Amino acid sequence: MAISTNHVASLSKPCISSFTTLKVLSKPNNYFHPGQSEFKRSSISCNVTSEASTLTINAKENDFKTLQRPNSVGRFGKFGGKYVPETLIPALTELEAAFHVIAVDQDFQKELEGILKDYVGRESPLYFAERLTEHYRRPNGEGPHIYLKREDLNHTGSHKINNAIGQVLLAKRLGKKRIIAETGAGQHGVATATVCARFGLECIVYMGAQDMERQALNVFRMKLLGAEVRGVHAGTATLKDATSEAIRDWVTNVDSTHYILGSVAGPHPYPMMVREFHAIIGKETRRQALEKWGGKPDVLVACVGGGSNAMGLFHEFVDDFDVRLIGVEAAGHGLDSNKHAATLTKGEVGVLHGAMSFLLQDDDGQIIEPHSISAGLDYPGVGPEHSFLKERGRAEYHSATDDEALEAFKRVSRLEGIIPALETSHALAYLEKLCPSLPDKAKVVVSCSGRGDKDVHTAIKYLQV
Amino acid sequence: MACNMRTDLLISQICPTSGHVSVKRRIGNASVVRAVVVDHNSLVKNIIGSTSSLMMRRPTLPNPQLVEETDNERKGCNGKFGRFGGKFVPETLISCLSNLEAEFNLVLHDAQFQAELATALRDYVGRETPLYFAERLTNHYKKNNNGEGPEIYLKREDLNHGGAHKINNAIAQAMIAKRLGRKSIVAATGAGQHGVATAAACAKLSLQCTIFMGTKDMEKQSSNLVLMKLLGAEVKSVDGNFKEATSEAFREWVGNLESSYYLTGTVVGPHPCPSMVREFQSVIGKETRRQAMDKWGGKPDVLVACVGSGSNALGLFHEFIKEKDVRLIGVEAGGFGLESDKHSATLAKGDVGVYHGTMSYLLQDEEGQIIRPHSVGVGLEYPAVGPELSFLKDTGRAEYYSVTDKEALNACQMLCRLEGIIPSLEASHALAFLNKLCPTLPTGTKVVVNCSGRGDKDAEMILNHKYYPMEKQFPASQNS
Repeated sequence: MAISTNHVASLSKPCISSFTTLKVLSKPNNYFHPGQSEFKRSSISCNVTSEASTLTINAKENDFKTLQRPNSVGRFGKFGGKYVPETLIPALTELEAAFHVIAVDQDFQKELEGILKDYVGRESPLYFAERLTEHYRRPNGEGPHIYLKREDLNHTGSHKINNAIGQVLLAKRLGKKRIIAETGAGQHGVATATVCARFGLECIVYMGAQDMERQALNVFRMKLLGAEVRGVHAGTATLKDATSEAIRDWVTNVDSTHYILGSVAGPHPYPMMVREFHAIIGKETRRQALEKWGGKPDVLVACVGGGSNAMGLFHEFVDDFDVRLIGVEAAGHGLDSNKHAATLTKGEVGVLHGAMSFLLQDDDGQIIEPHSISAGLDYPGVGPEHSFLKERGRAEYHSATDDEALEAFKRVSRLEGIIPALETSHALAYLEKLCPSLPDKAKVVVSCSGRGDKDVHTAIKYLQV
Repeated sequence: MACNMRTDLLISQICPTSGHVSVKRRIGNASVVRAVVVDHNSLVKNIIGSTSSLMMRRPTLPNPQLVEETDNERKGCNGKFGRFGGKFVPETLISCLSNLEAEFNLVLHDAQFQAELATALRDYVGRETPLYFAERLTNHYKKNNNGEGPEIYLKREDLNHGGAHKINNAIAQAMIAKRLGRKSIVAATGAGQHGVATAAACAKLSLQCTIFMGTKDMEKQSSNLVLMKLLGAEVKSVDGNFKEATSEAFREWVGNLESSYYLTGTVVGPHPCPSMVREFQSVIGKETRRQAMDKWGGKPDVLVACVGSGSNALGLFHEFIKEKDVRLIGVEAGGFGLESDKHSATLAKGDVGVYHGTMSYLLQDEEGQIIRPHSVGVGLEYPAVGPELSFLKDTGRAEYYSVTDKEALNACQMLCRLEGIIPSLEASHALAFLNKLCPTLPTGTKVVVNCSGRGDKDAEMILNHKYYPMEKQFPASQNS
């Protein structure tokens, strides 16, 4: 179910917002300091254009901070929304209402906290990567300090469980007995199967047939946990196709079924909900940073597929303009090839899987099949809030190729004894470009969003281990 | 208690040609036998290489009776746990082991080392691991017993970096190796978890790493093999399984004593290895005590752990050994059943002997030859057991039972379907024993089971096993 468009006329209503043009003084340390720069103000209506590059990347701090993210109709600026068939509107409304109830329910929050602690194993450490720091130290002895936020240590091996737990508790509240999910790398599928076993619910996971082959370990795990794994053969048989199939199932079974969407994509309230369940990553990071060095991180780096681990880390710091936010997408075989998944760099605005966001589409509005060596980043869309942060210039988005990710996978395994997921390896790969430009002792926190046990066979194939 | 042995046999085994041997024997509680061999390098290699090396005839003992333990014996001072333990090694290794012991004693009291270790355990390994109340598991046993039954808690060592308890010891010993100025580490691994943990610790601390692994184990735990290589370790294959890998690792170490460090993964081996590994694993029990106090204001009533050589069990038990109101239960691998010859139930079916440098129970035949063990849990396939566990058996402080392969596989599926946790097949042995244990325990009893590792490494094998799917009580997609 994909509606991709790049025409203004297809929008139901225009959105009005004000932009400011901000001239950034270039500083040798490349820091973004809006308070110290000249700016001029102009207000314009926002139009959806076909040229992503014509959007000016500017923001004014106060305007930004007062914006509700999302607003009451699920918009992040012009992005987001609920582009779904009528059949799903009551379910989404019910879900949103239930979410707002639990957000302020102390008993629920306490139960969730207990499960995150005793079952998931939180809080996850903020680990000083000494050898990686040394690797980036310059000949004059200067360089940033690299910290890894260890979401790989969570039960099931990635950040996905944070959201799966929250949503299954919600589903139980709503009296749902049947859970469906989509999965790319399999981590969200395993997390969903896990929570369904834990809470005694039926579980069906949709997974692209190609992903089932390259992430076979996770298929085994889901089956052991009692989930039914349904292979999807349509399209490229990857994440986007699995998502479409899951939505199709939900439309058919909406009364009995809750759809645990695994990322900050999809129709409202999912982007907000999933972000809130992952926001604990950033909250812990703030506290841990204060304990360790008495301050905040200077730079946050995370890989971006749909964008959930990145939003989980960033959200706490979005209003702290002195904290730089960097998302790293999958450049696959290179941005100039047709084989990548760098949505925010090469995509255009349209609607996919229920939300308006950037996506990889051709001139006819058809989805361009993405590619990444990592199944979890192999997605042609991206969460609407990331599109918003890009448009406002609050976050920067870069990319890393398959080869760069594999190199980073090997590097971190050998230097720190931590085998990162191939998805995570994209964030780690970007350090090669980032670190030379950072000032001495700059504090960089990288979201180590998952462990790489599931990727060993891919690694053997490519790295000839 | 006298420990009988045939000293003439011992002399002929150690020094087939000639050589000076002195054997000390004392009659009493602490019976010590130490064979001292004048060093001949080739002799050393022959001795270590032979699987029947340093075997003693089974002493003619009366039925095991409760031996009164002294505090020193319990603590393993001088490497002895009652009559078990010791340092049955060639002279070449004695000074090396003494240095290691000295360094170990130093680090125990070195505040900086302890602080660095605590940071590594917290930030790298991910400690402390939770003490998790397994609600559905608890209700499962109560439902089958008219609503009566204990509360079951899982100590989640599966959440550690690397996926098992092994890293607690590997990281600490790698740090000691660095202190000693060693550049390379040598280790042996069965299921691969200790190999992975050692490889990870070596990568982090910039140490060269060589892991020995049996070819049979490599086939069964191939994913761990790949992980070790990705972490930068050199993996050397040895014909056989863990016991052959251990012997080969020892041999490699003996050839490079100055530059390399033998990183033992479990509580066997010559003193100070058992004590060192126990000390580094004891964080499990220490945390459990504190968490139990937080959760229910008391101590656990029963501790259950699987026993291969015994490191995770001792790690959990050690903190509570003095407290006789805490029951200690070790569960060994019953394989195809104790009456078959395909099992690894050393404490149930073994006899006392010396193996890999230590005196303990081991699976040996009438001629003192090692019986090849079997278990579906590769990490439990070891024909001996830690000397301290042997001591706990003789003194009656701990109870030991066994479960079969089939029971372990069934328990694995049970935990997957009821709690959404995939335990390792080794840990599944401890869980399997709950079937027999829980019906005997009154409501309100607090049982802590050591979930010593995660089962990702076993997932494919379990799904393809002839015993899978298990009994009908845990079908897929079950509503509770």
